[in-house]
Amino acid sequence: MATNRTGGAQRPNGAPQTKVCQFKLVLLGESAVGKSSLVLRFVKGQFHEYQESTIGAAFLTQTVCLDDTTVKFEIWDTAGQERYHSLAPMYYRGAQAAIVVYDITNQDTFGRAKNWVKELQRQASPSIVIALAGNKSDLAAKRMVEFEEAQAYADENGLLFMETSAKTAMNVNDIFLAIANKLPKSESGGGAGGAGGARRLADGDTPRASSCCK
Amino acid sequence: MAQSQFSPVDEYGFERQDDFDYESYEDFMSMYLKVLATRAQKWAALLGEGKSVKRTNTVKRYVRKGIPSEHRPLVWMAISEAEIMKEQQPDLYQKILDGPFEKELVDLVKTDLPRTFPDNIFFTKEANHQTHLFNILIAYAHNNRVVGYCQGLNYIAGLLLLATKSEEISFWLLKVLVENILPDYYTRTMDGLIVDIEVLSELVKSKVPDVHQHVINLGLPWAVITTKWFVCLFAEVLPIETVLRIWDCLFYEGSKILFRVCITLIKSNRGAIMACNDFTSLAECFKTIVKNASALHCHEFMQAIFKVPGTLSNSTITKLRARFAKQRREQQQKEPR
Repeated sequence: MATNRTGGAQRPNGAPQTKVCQFKLVLLGESAVGKSSLVLRFVKGQFHEYQESTIGAAFLTQTVCLDDTTVKFEIWDTAGQERYHSLAPMYYRGAQAAIVVYDITNQDTFGRAKNWVKELQRQASPSIVIALAGNKSDLAAKRMVEFEEAQAYADENGLLFMETSAKTAMNVNDIFLAIANKLPKSESGGGAGGAGGARRLADGDTPRASSCCK
Repeated sequence: MAQSQFSPVDEYGFERQDDFDYESYEDFMSMYLKVLATRAQKWAALLGEGKSVKRTNTVKRYVRKGIPSEHRPLVWMAISEAEIMKEQQPDLYQKILDGPFEKELVDLVKTDLPRTFPDNIFFTKEANHQTHLFNILIAYAHNNRVVGYCQGLNYIAGLLLLATKSEEISFWLLKVLVENILPDYYTRTMDGLIVDIEVLSELVKSKVPDVHQHVINLGLPWAVITTKWFVCLFAEVLPIETVLRIWDCLFYEGSKILFRVCITLIKSNRGAIMACNDFTSLAECFKTIVKNASALHCHEFMQAIFKVPGTLSNSTITKLRARFAKQRREQQQKEPR
C-alpha cells in the first residue's frame, strides 16, 4: 500500500525548512458539470471525454508548492445528483476549502452552485475558503452563463472565481493554487477535523511532494 | 509484459488496465477454470432434468458455489422470483417503452449513458448497449416514480445487461432488486442506504471492535467508505467475476449478503487497516483491499463470506435496521434541515 511519508532526511542540507500544510478540500456541484474531470486534470494531468459518474465520493490527494510552503490537498470529489445531497455534510464537515462547480453552458447548474455556496456559508466551517469554478470554458460557443454575472456573484459573496476547462487544462492548476494561497498557513489549527487553520505536519512527517517543486 | 493467453479485453468487454496483473490472473484462472467445469456439469444435470429452478436447499448450495454464466439469466429470474413478477404483467416492459417519456427523466438518464462503463467495448457510442441501457433505465424510471432515476442504477443495469444480454430480463431483475431485495437505497432521501450503513457500522463494532475504533479515530466515516459498495452492489468496486458471484447469492438470499461481503472485506484486511496511521493512508487502503488478490479469487472469496463474518442472522439485521430507522426518524424530527 502506498504510504505518504518519507523521512525528514531527504530534505536538502542547508535549505530553509519548508512548512508543510495539509488541507481538506471538497468539490460540490450539479451532476456532470465536471467535478471529477477537474480533479483528474489537477491530480493526474488527464482528461476523459466521458468521465464515469461518481457514486458517493472519490478521494485523491495532490500537493502544490508555494514560496515557503508545501500545501497538500486531501480532495473529496462528491456525487452531483440531488438525492446524494443528504450525504454531502459528511464531506464538507471540517473542510478548509471548497470548489463549487457549474457548467457555463447550463444556467440551472449555476443556480445549483449558488445553493451550494449558501449551504456552505450556513453549515460549513466559518473560515472555509470557497472557490467558484465555471467549467467547460472550451464550450464558450454554447455559453449560457455570462462571465460578468458569475464574477459579480462571486465578488458579492467573497468567493474566488475562475472559468476553467478540465479539457484544455485552462485555469485548473490556477484555481487550486489560488485556494492554496488564500488558505491560512498558521502554525496552530485544528487539522482536517477541526475548523480553521491547516494541519501542520510534524517534523519528519513530510508528505512526499512528488508532483510539485518541478 | 509477458505473453498472456488473456486478451486486453475481458469476457464482459472491459478493457484491462495497463497495470493489470496478468500473471496472478493466470494463476487464479488455471484453478478457477476447473471449478467452472465442475459447476457446469452439476448445473447441466440439475437443469437438464427439465425441472424449473425452485428455491430448495440444493439450489441454494449450488448458487453459493456459482451459477455458470450461460445460466445466469434464467436462474437469476427464477431464484429472485422476478419471473413471477413478470408473469403477472407480461407486457409491462414493452408497454412502458411505447412511451411517452418525461423530458426531465430522459435528460437525467441520457447524461449518464456515455458515463457508464466508458472503458467497456459494448458501451462505446458505436456499440448498441447504450441504447439498451437507456431503454432499461427509462422504463424503470417511469415504472417506479418514487425512485425515478438514481445514479448508481446505471452501473447495476449496465452489468445486468452484460451478464444477461437481454434488455427485458435486465429490467425485471433491476425491478426485483430495487423493490424486493434491497431496502429503499435509491429513493429521494436514500433512507434505506443511510440506515444500512449504520447497521454495518454496528456490526463491525461488535465483530471487529479494534478496526471500528481505529477507523473512527482516524476520522473516516463508514458512509464515506461504503456508500458506493451498497449503492452499486459492488459493481465498479470489486472485480467483475467476484461481483457476479455475489449477485448470484444476492438474488437468492437477499440483502444480508451485502453485509457478509462488507464484513469479510474489513475483517480479512484487518492487518492492513490497523497499519494505517493517518486518514489519507486509510482512504487509500480501502481502495486497495477491493482490488487485491483475495478480492480477485472469487471462489475463495465467496467461501470466505460465509465463514469470516461468523453468525449473521436475518433477525439481527431486521432488529438493527428497525433501531436505526427509528433513530433517524427521531433525529429528523428534532433538527429539520
